[in-house]
Amino acid sequence: MEQLTLPKEKLPELLGEIGSKFELIGPKEENGFLAFRKINDPKEVNLDILLSRVPPKSLIFQQTETLFTYTKGKDSKVQTPKIDESVRVIFGIRPCDARGYDIIDPVFMGKKEGDYIDPFYTKRRNRSILIGLSCNEPDTNCFCTSFDDSPANTKHVDILFTDIGDKYFVEVVTEKGEDLIKNLSKIFSKATEKEGNIRKETEKTAIEAISRKMNTEGTVEKLNKMFDHEFWIEAARSCIGCGICTYLCPTCHCFDMQDESTLKLGGRVRVWDSCMYEEYTHHASGHNPRPSRMNRVRNRVYHKFNYFPKNDGIFGCTGCGRCIDYCPVNIDIIEVIDKVKEVNV
Amino acid sequence: MSTQKKTELEEFEPNIIGFLCNWCSYAGADLAGTSRIQYPPNVKIIKVMCSGRVNPMYIINAFQQGADGVLVSGCHPGDCHYTHGNYLARRRIATMKKLLEFLGIEPDRVRMTWVSAAEGRKYADVVREVTEDIKKLGPMTKFRREKEW
Amino acid sequence: MVENKELIRVVEETVSRDDVKYVIGYKRGTYGFQIKPAFAYSAKDAKEFFYSPLCAKNLATYPLLEEKLPLRRGEEAEHKKIGIVVKGCDSRAIIQIIQEKGLEREDVVLIGIPCKGVIDPKKIAKRFPKQSKFVDVEENSNDEYVLEISGTSHKIPKDELLSDVCKSCEYPNPLLYDILIGEAEEEFQPEHFNRVDELEEKTIEERWEYWEKHFQNCIRCYACREACPLCYCKTCMADLLEPQWVRRSVNLSENTAWNVMRAFHLAGRCISCGECERACPVNIPLMELNKFVEKEVKEMFDYTAGLDTEEKPLLGSFRPDDPEDFIS
Repeated sequence: MEQLTLPKEKLPELLGEIGSKFELIGPKEENGFLAFRKINDPKEVNLDILLSRVPPKSLIFQQTETLFTYTKGKDSKVQTPKIDESVRVIFGIRPCDARGYDIIDPVFMGKKEGDYIDPFYTKRRNRSILIGLSCNEPDTNCFCTSFDDSPANTKHVDILFTDIGDKYFVEVVTEKGEDLIKNLSKIFSKATEKEGNIRKETEKTAIEAISRKMNTEGTVEKLNKMFDHEFWIEAARSCIGCGICTYLCPTCHCFDMQDESTLKLGGRVRVWDSCMYEEYTHHASGHNPRPSRMNRVRNRVYHKFNYFPKNDGIFGCTGCGRCIDYCPVNIDIIEVIDKVKEVNV
Repeated sequence: MSTQKKTELEEFEPNIIGFLCNWCSYAGADLAGTSRIQYPPNVKIIKVMCSGRVNPMYIINAFQQGADGVLVSGCHPGDCHYTHGNYLARRRIATMKKLLEFLGIEPDRVRMTWVSAAEGRKYADVVREVTEDIKKLGPMTKFRREKEW
Repeated sequence: MVENKELIRVVEETVSRDDVKYVIGYKRGTYGFQIKPAFAYSAKDAKEFFYSPLCAKNLATYPLLEEKLPLRRGEEAEHKKIGIVVKGCDSRAIIQIIQEKGLEREDVVLIGIPCKGVIDPKKIAKRFPKQSKFVDVEENSNDEYVLEISGTSHKIPKDELLSDVCKSCEYPNPLLYDILIGEAEEEFQPEHFNRVDELEEKTIEERWEYWEKHFQNCIRCYACREACPLCYCKTCMADLLEPQWVRRSVNLSENTAWNVMRAFHLAGRCISCGECERACPVNIPLMELNKFVEKEVKEMFDYTAGLDTEEKPLLGSFRPDDPEDFIS
């Protein structure tokens, strides 16, 4: 892994250069919160706020995706939209959000030979180069360390920037990252050992600053045994059934397909959906296998902490804390898992 | 530039959706036709049983699908075939008009009138006025659907 | 000032009644300035109840979320009351729901709390970020909020943290209640909801620019709808497929349609608790829409929502002399 440094004042220059060669996406403040948007001017990039409100999953698994369009009548035609496959650089993504991609990759890109590969997700994923930014000051509800992750984890990004005072410590992790660096003018310098130590120190401080912890040990086995437990009725009692926790989750990936059409033209779109809605499981027959909020809240917890580990060997949670931050009724996933531990089966 | 803009405006033929009640306004429009009164062809009529049947969401939907203006027309107060449907419509459209104005949609794009079955001439006048008004405002693209479908 | 002891006593008493199923109130949340809805099924559950200026959540949503299982033949529905802790605006929500026949008066026991206004969670979280433990806030007699963070006590002028909706609240005292805790607050002169005036002064183009910017961000999670005590339709128009009023695609056009629809359906019904705006994850100033409609409805039809259970619904009634200056 190549280790470089970049003086902070050179960052706009770097972003400007990336922006002139490729499509550049970065965090931008909008209406009081952070969002990943196309960056035209490096000054727009905001690195002070920790997490974007809507996770960057929306860049790859778009909220609205047109799968195909069609015309009606005798000469009807079906057309699939073309996806841009040129390189796109996503700058400033946090390690936990980047990990979110790795968690949902098997869903859209398949795990083994013969699995269906979703072209929309896969093409966007392959065209994206992730330049991560480690978190020096984790927020109240950050708990990524509970999943063997770290605020400066290099595993899930192509290049990782770490703020070490007046410089960024740059780690080039993948080949994709190396190619990108090669393409850019030589504004990086080789990192010294001292700088490497500062980076390690910074990571350590950040890890220590994380105050919340989820004890995930034995969760899968415990959940195996308590599907029908009345605990879920109480856990879901205060849930109002809004979709915030799922829409803002970097690993939630449920979608709905809809045909939208006029008399002559139409299109099939894929839009985000949420298991917290009653109509999500509503059958055409009128039957609903998850009729009450208890079933729906339980499903969310099970999917993340039981089905995911069983299917993919990984928890479906990155510890970003968004669902805790924005839940209007303070349903705290850490507390829910803690209480699961206390339940007598 | 200004002359070019002017010609563009002159060429702009607005697309107006008219929700006319079956008992008065539609009959009024019919009368305007049988009396051979000339009026602009921009208003596309959708006949509804009563102006009270016009869900204010129809207006929003019309704008989404490419309308530049909406006309809602019913019986004069007191004349409603269903005794008070037009009174209800009046409250609803008044509220919706205010709301749209607050959002930044020109209030003139939504027009409500009372036209009775005997007022063919008034209907023609209304259509002429509405068309003129909306021609002046230009196309309504603020929240039109971007997709063709 | 609401004494927590008194509140707990009343909740204990209420939940011990034979005809009461459970009581809904507030308890301390898991971090920062968060509060949680609390449910007491027996007197011992009442211990964790509390009230402070942090208790912004409108609990009137919950009786309508009560899930009723289908009955077997010969089985009779359980007719038990639900107790709710209500502030001024919450009680108006209940009145409005009763007026619309969503609830019967007999279905609920209302524990009224005279409200001095609640803290805007966003404002206080910005002021004191990164609180991983629950911090309680009290109000003193000098119109200040007092809180203690890791040993240091802070005093903040009330005006800086108070919710915008509370500044313009006209009904701080519950209008409908069975038990009132403490003394009713004195009437005070509400401020105008300034944000609406500011917007109205802008030009039409500037206003659209403003809303366009906000509606573009909408992710259509429908949290505004779910958090609203008055959005309790069995099937929301936004969920209907036949006819489909709003398409599922998330773009400016559909987002605008949804937000207009939401605001319009609350015309003459919104009681200004501010729950939608608090819930919105992308900071859309929904209360500006609601407050504007409220103001216009009052001017045009002299109608205020949530005051009288016998009143007729605004859009289901009329007066022959309603204004019609916009009609030609």
